[in-house]
Amino acid sequence: MKYASASVRKQFFIEMFTRDISLEDCVLDLIDNSIDSYLQQRAISISELIFGAVRNGVTKDLGRIDVTCNERQIKVVDTCGGITRRRAMEDVFCFGHDADHLVGKLGAYGVGMKRALFKIGNKFHIVSRTATEGFEVTLKLDEWAEEKDWLIPIKFVDGAETSKKAGTSITITELHEEVGLRLREGGVPKNILNDAATTYPYFLDRCTKLTINDTEVSPREIPLGESQGRVKAARDKFDQNGVKVTLAASVAPGQRTTEQAGWYILCNGRVVVDADKTDLTGWGSEFASFQPKYRSFVGLASFESDDPLRLPWTTTKRDINRESGVFIHARALMATMSKPILTFLNSQYPSDASTEAGDIRDAVEGVRAVSFKDIASKPISGFSYSPPKKKEKKTEWVRFNAQIASLDKVRRHVRRPGLSASEIGKLTFDHYLKTECAD
Amino acid sequence: MSAESSSYRVQYDLRPSKQVERRMIIDALQRLAAAGFPVADYQYTGFGSIYFVDFIMFHKLLGMNRLVSLEQTPSLERRVSFNRPFSCIDIRMVPASSAIPDLSRDVQHIVWLDYDGVLNKSMLSDIQSAVTTLSPGSILLVTVDVEPPEDHDYSDVDPDFDSSKTRMGPTEWKKYFEHHASVYLELGLTDSDFAKSRLVERSTEILTAAFLRSAVSRPGLDFMPLFNFVYKDSHQMLSMGGMVAGATEKRQIRGSTIADTAYYRSDFESLPFQIRIPRLTRKERVYLDREMPCEDQWMPKEFDLDSKAVMEYREIYRFLPAFAEILL
Repeated sequence: MKYASASVRKQFFIEMFTRDISLEDCVLDLIDNSIDSYLQQRAISISELIFGAVRNGVTKDLGRIDVTCNERQIKVVDTCGGITRRRAMEDVFCFGHDADHLVGKLGAYGVGMKRALFKIGNKFHIVSRTATEGFEVTLKLDEWAEEKDWLIPIKFVDGAETSKKAGTSITITELHEEVGLRLREGGVPKNILNDAATTYPYFLDRCTKLTINDTEVSPREIPLGESQGRVKAARDKFDQNGVKVTLAASVAPGQRTTEQAGWYILCNGRVVVDADKTDLTGWGSEFASFQPKYRSFVGLASFESDDPLRLPWTTTKRDINRESGVFIHARALMATMSKPILTFLNSQYPSDASTEAGDIRDAVEGVRAVSFKDIASKPISGFSYSPPKKKEKKTEWVRFNAQIASLDKVRRHVRRPGLSASEIGKLTFDHYLKTECAD
Repeated sequence: MSAESSSYRVQYDLRPSKQVERRMIIDALQRLAAAGFPVADYQYTGFGSIYFVDFIMFHKLLGMNRLVSLEQTPSLERRVSFNRPFSCIDIRMVPASSAIPDLSRDVQHIVWLDYDGVLNKSMLSDIQSAVTTLSPGSILLVTVDVEPPEDHDYSDVDPDFDSSKTRMGPTEWKKYFEHHASVYLELGLTDSDFAKSRLVERSTEILTAAFLRSAVSRPGLDFMPLFNFVYKDSHQMLSMGGMVAGATEKRQIRGSTIADTAYYRSDFESLPFQIRIPRLTRKERVYLDREMPCEDQWMPKEFDLDSKAVMEYREIYRFLPAFAEILL
């Protein structure tokens, strides 16, 4: 038997595998690691964050993540607990996780940080300290690429002494030419800020604060709504293959825009797909294609697992693996939940003006924000709309044409020449009621 | 969906083939009940219209008490309520697409989507929703019209189509089915595959694909075929159905006597069960019944009837209603 070479080349990791992800998503990958450290250190579960009792912050001391992004460097500094020496030695710098390593909630594949470092610049410096121990790594990529070994020099340093100060700092300098170009082109920090706001609504202000170039990122909540007694959101849930799936769909409250409409998909609390209006979530195949009249539609699908590899996300955490069994199941339920809502929204615009359409428009207007947690806490049911009870008609118009001569006759009779025709109608009607229909 | 609600067009209780179908379904449910499916506790959801024939039979013959009738024509609401035969029937003025996601996951269901129109998108979408959400052991039945689509059906497909100039034919019918069910149609079909005589086949393929593919999303569950009827009272109709089943339910079905019946279909590839009702006088029926179930070659001696009709009668006589005039 002869053997052909199938060895790994560093060049693949440095040049190829960095092409499938945007610069912004690389920075988000680094933020993911910081959040993961925080969750791990305090043993906070994703369920607690999304469905827990405490709305603002699971703990009082929020972690901090500060991102600096300019033409010289990209830097992510956090106070989220730091990385242990053991993890640094055995796992952090490996490509892919070992089967028996305890992985975080947001880092499924063990590629995010390395890919970000390689993509952004030629030199990186990492210092990480837990309360008790620390390490430091400085590496120049071009030099490392020349070496045959897959080893990274590491230096042990002292711990941060308190868990509050413990954290990791990653600085990437000697930015690659194309990264420099993009940064000079402008807009990258703003994109990161926007992406982070839509990606981390369940983490920001609940477990960490995040700033991009000193600007604090406010979480952008996913706008789910209900209206008391009128509009009830659809909800569903199931467990499959170690993944807990929770689904909700309804009408958005407040300002409704096409941009925010659609399905949001969360994997371990992180928004992977936002406001999707494509075939991925059933639009145009399982149900109607998106049109502006559906701009109030919002759906949320949350996938949670202690083993992030079971979640249906791709390695960039910006898309869904359509072949995932749990996603196929969820997608079918998402379609089932969506259809009645689209029918409901559609009936706001009937071909002829009807009172029903008016009632539906009022119901849509009356929708107020309700949290995913509150919707998900109730039993499984479909979307429902209860029309207002029809009011019993108490009055009716009386209208008829009368001879002017007859009207004048009445005016003369009651000696009130200024009476209008309708006043005469009322007067004579009341008179008849009083004198002839006594009861 | 047809332009006019079928409750005005069809006198529901006087359709002998439909009634045979209902009785066969009840026979099947009784056999499944005997094999351990708690059918009496199932919830039945159907389109009761103003006649409620299926509801009356399910309640009286199977002891079902959870009954939900869906009606989506608002103008019929008062008539439907007026005609509700039992207090245990819950009337919901919503389309199936809204009612299906709301069906309890903790209960087993029989859902009969007894449409009176030619297959369309919204029916297929209802099937997908039902197969996606019904609890294991639940039964889904779907009835559709398999006559060629009519002018009013086609207006969605091609608003410019002028029926006064062109008559619809296989080319238009193909377009109709491609518009409504393209993902469920096989590749490479030609116009002649949509000739009138082939429409049962096409609708069967589409429904089969809708049932089986929708079940793919359910881990550990399959859609197990049970019924595939073709019959004709006025329009030719197709009814297909089966059970959302896991390993336990499959074993229970195998353990039942349903396979002993002539109408049972364990797959959708076999030919459908054709409900054919020979035209017979009352006297002939009484005579034939005395000999039923008959031997294969048996023929009546006192009048002439072709052997095919005798065999057809043998398959349906237990289920065939007898109608008589009553003076109200």
